[in-house]
Amino acid sequence: MSKSESERRNSEKAPARAWLMGTAGWLVPGLGHLLQGRWVRALLLGGAVWVCFISGLLMGGYLFKYSGSEQGLSSLLQIPPMVGNLGTGLPYIVCWLLGFGFSHEPQQAALPTFEYGWTFLLIAGLLNYLSMLDAFDIAAGRKS
Amino acid sequence: MRHFLVMTAFAVLAAVVFGTVAKDSNRERIVYGLKVFAEFMVIGLVLAWILYFIPY
Repeated sequence: MSKSESERRNSEKAPARAWLMGTAGWLVPGLGHLLQGRWVRALLLGGAVWVCFISGLLMGGYLFKYSGSEQGLSSLLQIPPMVGNLGTGLPYIVCWLLGFGFSHEPQQAALPTFEYGWTFLLIAGLLNYLSMLDAFDIAAGRKS
Repeated sequence: MRHFLVMTAFAVLAAVVFGTVAKDSNRERIVYGLKVFAEFMVIGLVLAWILYFIPY
């Protein structure tokens, strides 16, 4: 593909299907690729995100959410990691609805893997954003 | 040992995703994934050594 053709494709408006695939990929890690018949990519990307998310929870990590209960800037500091966590889509939403994974009790914080846990949860969300964009680009014809 | 294993797990997962979404051919993807994995590991170990000598 020539550079001008690549630029033309990138500037074209993405079809509704691409937005649908992107949303599916965000909501359930790996689903965006699975719906497009990209089994291997779905397995690798979705698998990595799911493993990262579940490992994070098993390591005693916690998810961030904006509660607004903290004073001043402290509550605003919760927003960037919350956006990162939100990248996992449905797993985050389910945890939020069940109230699971948001607490950090002293005995949980004492775990040697506590810091790794929330880092893995954060990274799972960020990796899924990459996966979501990949599913979007494939559906939009910008990527093979 | 636990810390090293967790760092390795992190590097593997990130390298799988980076390698899969980047590049055009399968060969390039595998090479890039391995390169990302090696970079995570080497930089992690170098940082660990640097931090080891910092007394704070």
